[in-house]
Formats: sequence, structure tokens, C-alpha cells
Amino acid sequence: MISLEQIDDCRWRIPKSGAMRVPGLIFANSDLIRAIQQDQSLTQVANVATLPGIVGYSLAMPDIHWGYGFPIGGVAAFDLEEGIVSPGGVGYDINCGCRLMTTRLRADDIRPLIRDLVQALYHHIPTGVGSRGPIHLSPSDESRVAVMGAEWAVQKGFGTPQDLERTEDHGAMAGADPSVLSGRAMQRGRDQLGTLGSGNHFLEIQTVDQIYDPVKARQFHLFEGQVTVFMHTGSRGFGHQICDDFLKEMGQSAHKGLLPFELPDRQLACAPLTSELARRYLAAMACAANYAWANRQILMHWTMEMFLKTLSIRPEELGMNLLYDVCHNIAKKELHQVAGRAIRVCVHRKGATRALPPGHPLLPEIYRSTGQPVLIPGDMGTFSFVLAGAPGSMERSFGSSCHGAGRVLSRTQAVKQAKGRAINRELEDKGIIVQSRGKQTLKEEMPDAYKDISQVVDVVEAAKLATKVARMRPLGVIKG
Amino acid sequence: MTAKKARVTFLNHTADMGIRVTAPTLADLFERAGEAVIDTMLKQRPAGRTSPVRLSVAGEDLPDLMVRWLGEILFLFEGEGKVVTDMDIDSIWENRIDATVYTVPFDPEVHEMMTEIKAVTYHQIEVARRKDGWQATVIFDL
Repeated sequence: MISLEQIDDCRWRIPKSGAMRVPGLIFANSDLIRAIQQDQSLTQVANVATLPGIVGYSLAMPDIHWGYGFPIGGVAAFDLEEGIVSPGGVGYDINCGCRLMTTRLRADDIRPLIRDLVQALYHHIPTGVGSRGPIHLSPSDESRVAVMGAEWAVQKGFGTPQDLERTEDHGAMAGADPSVLSGRAMQRGRDQLGTLGSGNHFLEIQTVDQIYDPVKARQFHLFEGQVTVFMHTGSRGFGHQICDDFLKEMGQSAHKGLLPFELPDRQLACAPLTSELARRYLAAMACAANYAWANRQILMHWTMEMFLKTLSIRPEELGMNLLYDVCHNIAKKELHQVAGRAIRVCVHRKGATRALPPGHPLLPEIYRSTGQPVLIPGDMGTFSFVLAGAPGSMERSFGSSCHGAGRVLSRTQAVKQAKGRAINRELEDKGIIVQSRGKQTLKEEMPDAYKDISQVVDVVEAAKLATKVARMRPLGVIKG
Repeated sequence: MTAKKARVTFLNHTADMGIRVTAPTLADLFERAGEAVIDTMLKQRPAGRTSPVRLSVAGEDLPDLMVRWLGEILFLFEGEGKVVTDMDIDSIWENRIDATVYTVPFDPEVHEMMTEIKAVTYHQIEVARRKDGWQATVIFDL
């Protein structure tokens, strides 16, 4: 049993014990913490705290749940000299992330056409398990995607340079080196660019139904009743293979006794940040991150095409623009204040979103005064949120926020509870049209399987990690 | 074949899914775990012993060998579009397995997909001898 101390209404501490090098810190209210205690996620927070070079706290966001190795919703920063990088601390879906597009449309104007839009998107956007798209990359183009990221897509006509400015890292993480990738990673990446995938990945037509901060909403070009489109996907089989390759290699060195400490879980296999192996992993991870940004850029372009075609309107009438694209599975070298000293650390965000405060130098000019847009999808039956990174977020959470509602039921439990229910009809009764490729996906992903997103976001705001700007309600969803 | 005595139980995990396999012999254990990968992904594992593929997998120890072995079956599906229908374990030691797996090309019109496995993880991996045989626990990332 993990011991837990309440600090205030939205923070809980796991005191240092055993091999833990730092305490654990969980952002949650008492309702959420009860659900969190039901699975093994707190043990995972404590396990991460045992890894060498960890600084500050082993953190967990309010949507934390049991992952493999790191908890989902975990954030941990490691000293560049003494610390490690762990592929399991990034996850298999490297740069899984979210993208939000705004439009000039009002939901009331297109309501009768939502079903047609969902159908058009469903037929045009490759979805589902192992989905392959119409883009077949030559090895040299695949390497270019891995280095250039979203810019490759823009150069090929998918979107505009303005989109790059509104993407984390301008859609291309530095240090990507395709020469470190395995043949298998290249093979799996060849046909999967421009595909949504399956599971919890989705494309959702939404309407803004509540504005919390009118000033920031205006700066984000959000207004009540507006149609927005939310996307959640990542680096597909390309990223999965890269994670798998390096976990095995790092596991091997742990087995040979090359790691000077005991791993509490083999999935936490890692390499010292100063090692050649860590350098190669980070170079490969950047390739996958860039692939994911190119993927979301292409999918956004096809989404825009489908809106134009289905609604028979001109691009200027649609006015589809990227609000922001942000990843939530990544490790990044960043500058942070730790114990009153500015140091560069490698921040792992596994199911956690970067949330830079106003004035941060990494923000594009348009968001310099607002703070970074933080995109938080809920389940397909409730809401998604746009927040803005709050002043002080760097000190409180290494500039991080939650990434979604967080599961509360396992997939098997969800399928069992959904037995005899027509989830798509239940959603239609709430005015949400859903199309899904996998027969089980709707049951596995039904709203009851997730925590209450509003509570998760309220904790993030109360803990001053990010502040609420707007809330969106789903109108139509396509899933893999 | 003693595989009929082997058993697969699907385990609950909040985000993902696991399997617990028990079997009288190590070869049966690996065979049933391999089949469970396909049974997790497809509504029905197709029958047949066509298009054999020879697999030789090496690992550091039995748990590592299990993760790598299941990873090969997953890669055949994800990377090459081949569904493993049946298999013969030719030989197995603590750090190596040689097997022949039989495959059919994946056809989304015929093979109904249930769940995508992104990867076979090392999280809480266990392969251990029990008094009446072997037991393995494996968690998949979905």
C-alpha cells in the first residue's frame, strides 16, 4: 500500500521511502484520488521516483491511470548529467497528440449536414487497425518526413506555413537522425502516413458551447456556437516500432548489468542520458515525433477538403485554421528552475501536455501573451476543453498539464458494461453522430469508461497549471 | 499435442489488456500465448496451415524471450499483413525458440478486427515454472 499525504484540495504527496530518490506528487481532488487508488498507478509514480537523476518530484496529473512502466499522466524530469531517458516514459505512440482547428462556421448552420460530414470523413480518412493510406513513402521521402516533420507535409501542399508556427516545436523536433532507425521501423512507417489509427484515436466535429475567458478566447479565435474540429492521433506503427526496438536494446544492457541500479519494472528500461544509446534513442524518438506532426498536418488538410466538398463552400467561407497542435507522449530537453537554480533537464511527459505560461520564449508571437493553448479531449459523449498555460506552471509541474479524461474502466469491463446497449444510438440521442471502424471500439471507448473530464480540468485550474478558456461539445465523431 | 490442457485468461488493466497463460510444457505455453495475440486482435483466428514462416527468436531469459516471440507474431501482422493461424514449436530453450508459424494474408473484409495491439510490453512480465507446469503473464499496449 502506497502511503499518501494530502497537501491541499488538489495535491497529494507520496513521501520518499525505500529506493525513491524524490517524493511523488499527484494533482487530484478527493473524488479522483479515490479512483486513482483503485489501480496500480500510485505504485508506478513511486517506481519512477527511483530512477537515477530524477529532480523535484515524480509527478502525476489528475487523469493519471495505470500504464506500463510509467503511469499514464506521469511527468518526470531528469538531470542531463546524472539522469536517464526511458522509452517507456514516452510510450509506444511517440508524439501521440492533439490538434484543434477553428472555422468560421456556426453549428446551427451545418447541423442538418453533420451526418454527411461524418460519412465523408469516415470514407476519406484511413482509420482502423493497421490502416494504410494513399501515401506510399520512398525510403528517402520517409527519411525527409522523419527530419522535417510537418514542414514536409506543407511543402507537399498539405497546409500552409502558418500551420507550422502554431505547432509545438514548429512541427519538427531537432536532432532527428533516420540513420539510427531499424529496417522494421522504416517498413512500418512506409504506408501509415495520413492514417488515424484505432483505439482512442479520433477525429471530432464539435461546437464551442461555453467560453470561460472571453479575452483569451478572442485571441484563440474561439466564439460560442462555432464549429471546431479536434484530432487525436500519433506516429502509428513507425513510433511503436521505434519504442519497441530501444526498449529491447536498453533491456539488454540492464540485463548485462550495465545499469548501476535495480529496475523496479522491466518496462522502465532506460539509458544514462550521457550514453551513446540515449543519444540514438532521442534521435529516433525525434524521427517519430516528426512523423506524427506530418501525420496530423496531412489529416487536417484532408479534413478541410472534406468540409469544402460536403458543404459546397469556398475556403474563405470555411475559414479552417489551426489553433494549435501539441503532443502528450514525449521526452524533451528543457530549461527549468530546480531548487532555485536554472538547469537543463530531460522532461518525460507520458500522457501529459506541455502547458507553457504567458511570456515563455518558446511560444509563438500570437500566443506570447495568452500562454500556450492546451488541448484536452474528453470522451466522445461529453466535452473537450481548451486551456491556456498558467503563470507558475513551470515551477509547479515542469510546464505540464493533463492530457484527457483518463480511463476508469478497463476495455474488458467497458465491453461487459456495454452489453446489450447500442452505444451509437445512445450518443445519437444526445445529438452526436458516430462512425467507427472496429466493432468493439465504441463499447471500449464509451463515455462511462472515462473519468469526468470536467473534474480533471477543474483540478488543473485549481492547481494553477492551466486556466480554462473554452469548452466544446461533440457533434460528430469518427473513430478507428 | 498437450495444448488442450493449456489455458488463457484475459486480464483487466485500466488502459490496456493482459493475458495469463498456463500450460503443461514450455512449448505449449509459448504456443498458446502466440495464439492469444491473434485471438485478442481478431474475432476469430482463421484456420489452416499455409504459407509457413520460420521464426528463430533469441532472448536474455524466458520473460524476454516471451516478449520478443509475441512481438514477432505481432510484427508479422502489423508489418507484413500476415495472420498467424497455427504454429509448431520446433525447439525451445531458456534463451531461444525456433518455430514454424503458418499464415494467411490479412483481409479486412474477411477477418473481423476486435482490438489493435500496439506492442507487447515488459510491464509485470512473468514466465515461471509452477508445480504442475508453466505460467506466463503478459500485458499488451492497446
